[in-house]
Amino acid sequence: MPAAIGQELVGLLPRLRRFALVLCRSPSLADDLVQSACERALAGADSWTPGTRLDAWVFRILRNQWIDHLRRSRTEGMSEDITERPDIVGDAGEGPILSKLLLAEVQQFIDTMPAEQREVLLLVCVEDLAYREAAEVLGVPIGTVMSRLARARKRLAEMTAAA
Amino acid sequence: MAQFHFSDEILMAFADGELDEQMAGRVEQAMANDPAIARRIAEFLRSRRLIRSAYARSTASDVPPALRAAVQAQIDRLEAQAGPQAPSGDPISRSASPAGRWRPALALAAGIGALALATGGYLAGRQGLGTPSADPIAYLAAPEVSRALGSNLSGQEQDLPFGRIRVISTYRMADGSLCREFKLETSAGASNAVACRGRDWKTTFALASADASGSYVPSDGADLVDSYLQKGGAGQPLLDAAEVQALREPPRLR
Repeated sequence: MPAAIGQELVGLLPRLRRFALVLCRSPSLADDLVQSACERALAGADSWTPGTRLDAWVFRILRNQWIDHLRRSRTEGMSEDITERPDIVGDAGEGPILSKLLLAEVQQFIDTMPAEQREVLLLVCVEDLAYREAAEVLGVPIGTVMSRLARARKRLAEMTAAA
Repeated sequence: MAQFHFSDEILMAFADGELDEQMAGRVEQAMANDPAIARRIAEFLRSRRLIRSAYARSTASDVPPALRAAVQAQIDRLEAQAGPQAPSGDPISRSASPAGRWRPALALAAGIGALALATGGYLAGRQGLGTPSADPIAYLAAPEVSRALGSNLSGQEQDLPFGRIRVISTYRMADGSLCREFKLETSAGASNAVACRGRDWKTTFALASADASGSYVPSDGADLVDSYLQKGGAGQPLLDAAEVQALREPPRLR
C-alpha cells in the first residue's frame, strides 16, 4: 500500500513544500516539515481513504506535524526572516493582466496576514480545495473557513483596489 | 420582491462556485438587479486570481534535490520491506498514467453514473442465457461479439444486429493470454470492455455507461480500462502483423 501512494507523493512535493513555506516561512524548516510529513503519510498509508483527495490528506498530516512542532518548541517566532525568502514571489502566466509589481504587493500583503488566514488562502485559492476539504485539513468548521477566507480576501481587495 | 441581504461569505461562496443551485439562483437574480452586488462578487473573483498568481506554479516546483531524494529513499525503503510481492507497480505499464490514479478514477466514474464490473460470477452466469436483455452488459456475451473479437483488426468497426462494435486494441497479458479492448454500442447504452480468449472470447472487464446515446464516454472510463490492462501486465498493443498472427493462434484450452 505505501508503494501505491509513493509516486503520487513525490508528485505532490512541490505543493507540499509551498504549503509548508506558508506555514513556517523558513525554507529549511519547510523541508524538514515536508520530509517528516511524507514519512508519516507513508507509514499510515492504510488510513487514507481511497477515492478521497490524497493531497488534502497529506496537507492535513503536514499541518498537524507543524502544530506539534510549535507545541514542542513553543516558538511562534520564525527562525529566519521572511525577507530572506526570495522563492515565493512569482508570475503565474496570467502575466499580461497582472503586473509583477502588483503581484509582489499581493505577496507582501499575504505575508503580513495571520497564519490562519494565509493557510486558508493557499488551500482554497491556490490548491483549489473545496471549503469542506479545507475545513478538514484545518480541523475547523466550514463556517470558520468561510469567515477567515472572506475576511482575508476582502482586505486584499481593498488594499489593491487602487492598483 | 423580498430584499435579501447577502453576506460576504455568501457572495464569496458564489464566486467560488460553492453555493447550491437554489442559493446561487438567488444571488444571480440579485446580481442582475444590483450592480453593487455584482461588484462585490467581482472583487472575490479578482482576489482569488491575484492570490493564485502571486503563488505561481513556478515557485512551487522548486523542490530541493536533497528533499526529493530523502522522500524517495523513504519510499524505496518501504517498498523493499514490502518484499517481492510488489503488486501493481509493473514497470511495463502501457500508459503514462500512474498506478495511483486508479482509485480516484474509480470513484469518479462511479459518481458520473458509470458502472464498472470486474467480471467473474456475474458475467459468467449470464453467458449461458443467450437471450440478451436491454442491459448493454448482457450483449457482451453475444456470439456476434465473440466472432467480431476473433476476426476484426483493431480500429475496425462492424454493425451488429443489436448495435455496433469497434475493436480498439489487442494485448498480450503477463500470463500469456490474448486480450482485446473494445467498445460496444447498443440502443441500451455503450460499454468499454476487455475480453480475453480462452476456449472462446470472454469479457473480463466492462465499463457500461448509462447514457443511451452512447456518444459520451467520460475520459475516466478510458483510465479505468487502462488501469485494468496495466494491472494484468499488458505491454504495448500488438500492431499489424503481430496482431494478425496473434489472432490466428489456436485458442488456449485451459
